[in-house]
Amino acid sequence: MTHPLNRKAAKWLLVASALPFVLLAASAQAKDASQWGSGKNLYDKVCGQCHAPEVGVGTALAGRNLPEAYVKFVVRNGLNAMPAFPASFIDDESIAQVTRYLATLPAPASQP
Amino acid sequence: MAEQNNAVLPKGVVQKEFDKAIGKFRALLGEDNVLVKADQLAPYNKIMMPVENAAHAPSAALTATTVEQVQGVVKICNEHKIPIWTISTGRNYGYGSAAPVARGQVILDLKKMNRIINIDPVMCTALVEPGVTYGQLYDYIQEHDLPLMLSFSAPSAIAGPLGNTMDRGVGYTPYGEHFMMQCGMEVVLANGDIYRTGMGGVAGSNTWQIFKWGYGPTLDGMFTQANYGIATKMGFWLMPKPPVFKPFEVIFENEEDIVEIVDLLRPLRMSGTIPNSVVIANILWEAGSGNVRRSAYTREPGHTPEAILKQIQKDTGMGAWNLYAALYGTQEQVDVNWKIVSDVFKKHGKGRIVTQEEAGNTQPFKYRAELMSGVPNLQEFGLYNWRGGGGSMWFAPVSEARGSECRKQAALAKRILHKHGLDYVGEFIVAPRDMHHVIDVLFDRTNEEESRRADACFNELLDEFEKEGYAVYRVNTRFQERVARSYGPVKRDVEHAIKRALDPNNILAPGRSGIDLDSYKKA
Repeated sequence: MTHPLNRKAAKWLLVASALPFVLLAASAQAKDASQWGSGKNLYDKVCGQCHAPEVGVGTALAGRNLPEAYVKFVVRNGLNAMPAFPASFIDDESIAQVTRYLATLPAPASQP
Repeated sequence: MAEQNNAVLPKGVVQKEFDKAIGKFRALLGEDNVLVKADQLAPYNKIMMPVENAAHAPSAALTATTVEQVQGVVKICNEHKIPIWTISTGRNYGYGSAAPVARGQVILDLKKMNRIINIDPVMCTALVEPGVTYGQLYDYIQEHDLPLMLSFSAPSAIAGPLGNTMDRGVGYTPYGEHFMMQCGMEVVLANGDIYRTGMGGVAGSNTWQIFKWGYGPTLDGMFTQANYGIATKMGFWLMPKPPVFKPFEVIFENEEDIVEIVDLLRPLRMSGTIPNSVVIANILWEAGSGNVRRSAYTREPGHTPEAILKQIQKDTGMGAWNLYAALYGTQEQVDVNWKIVSDVFKKHGKGRIVTQEEAGNTQPFKYRAELMSGVPNLQEFGLYNWRGGGGSMWFAPVSEARGSECRKQAALAKRILHKHGLDYVGEFIVAPRDMHHVIDVLFDRTNEEESRRADACFNELLDEFEKEGYAVYRVNTRFQERVARSYGPVKRDVEHAIKRALDPNNILAPGRSGIDLDSYKKA
């Protein structure tokens, strides 16, 4: 799936193509540009506090390849007892990162 | 998604006036910080109360990042008579979440004001902005290896100290009465003035987070559970991290044991032998937070039969009442106090003592120990799975820390809840003299009939407790006007006189705790 470059990303590309050394720094910054820094951090600090298999409060999310649109919808709207989070608490980029991170986690072993 | 034009407006504000205000908000805050689209507003409208979301739908949400912006917002609100509902992290679950008390109010979201301005590890004080979460503070303390311990409410990983304290929430450590530990706040008043309480008005003072009272009237409390200003900074005291922490549980088999538990406990709390906000949780609180689900035992509607509660006790080893407390200090101090405490319960003979060593990593002991030692988690959200469906309201009457009173309140609440087909899921949070008797009125919000029962139940709880001279210390936004009436007409007159003096245009959260110049009629 491809996404059109937004204005911010296009600006990064322009700068990076002109200055290769800046690219390294820019990449590092882009990784940290989201509110939570990384998908792992958001999962550890927020989502996993309920959804980690060992916690068992929310449904396990790991390894299910949930679509980003679905994750975003539930984060923004909540679901039953799952609270909703506005962009001031979890920005769109962090949702994208945590979606990618969840896909890297192994699915929990099924219960006997 | 469409904008909210013609859909939701603040009460008494016409579209044209609203649009002018929105234009000014955009000029002040930038386009991205003025939210008016339905999908942007949806997260602020997720509620757990038995009423349609529409009743608490905001017309817009603003995100501010500086005190100057907050001043600018109140200026615009005064110009166009726009009511605003301020949130810090918006995690006030069971009390209204982030949604405004009245439909159409504009949310002022301060989550992005999230600077930890100062932590002083010598004086053990903190000064934070509204958007700082306990989780953020915990990480800061860990990263900087500071010898300090936090106290927080159960949604600790995502809630924050300013919002919790301004709503007079409680925690589970020796610093668990959070407003008592608050020291110095900065408040933007409705006229745009910045008021600092305590020593905060003294130029060059270094005691703003040290000495609470300042000089003359001490007004901090006036801004809690109120709508007289917008807190933009708050100071509070942090507990020095003790070298030894010893959590323990005492399990009691019978519901009637509550009388003796409380009367045994009171002298230990009063003397400071047990220093923290002890919890006495009933079987269903214990089971819910320990991931036991009602559906594993029954799918029948109505309250859960006593036989099932006993079966859960038998299956899990949980008690009818489960007391959690902790000791803090040096090894010598903890040893001495442990002997005193354990002797009391051993002599009494009815409780089964469980230590950390015996409990290991089992729930709910693990999360209770974490809450009592300042480690954030969200395990208690397991309560919401007991019945499912996302409905929750805290019914939280204040009680004397006297056994007979606790039994009376528990029995009264249980009778009313059962009458409406709901369960008594309760705990007592124990101070030396008072109890926060906290009951989670859990219901399936996706079931309209059950939601109606929950609503009727909450009204009856308020009415019947009031007849006995009891009132709640805090309540969700649906019932704030109702509860204000419990506290008598003179208090309400005073509160509205203050409101007229400080916020004559009634722009700050009208309706908060029943304070609203537009609707209040002097008795």
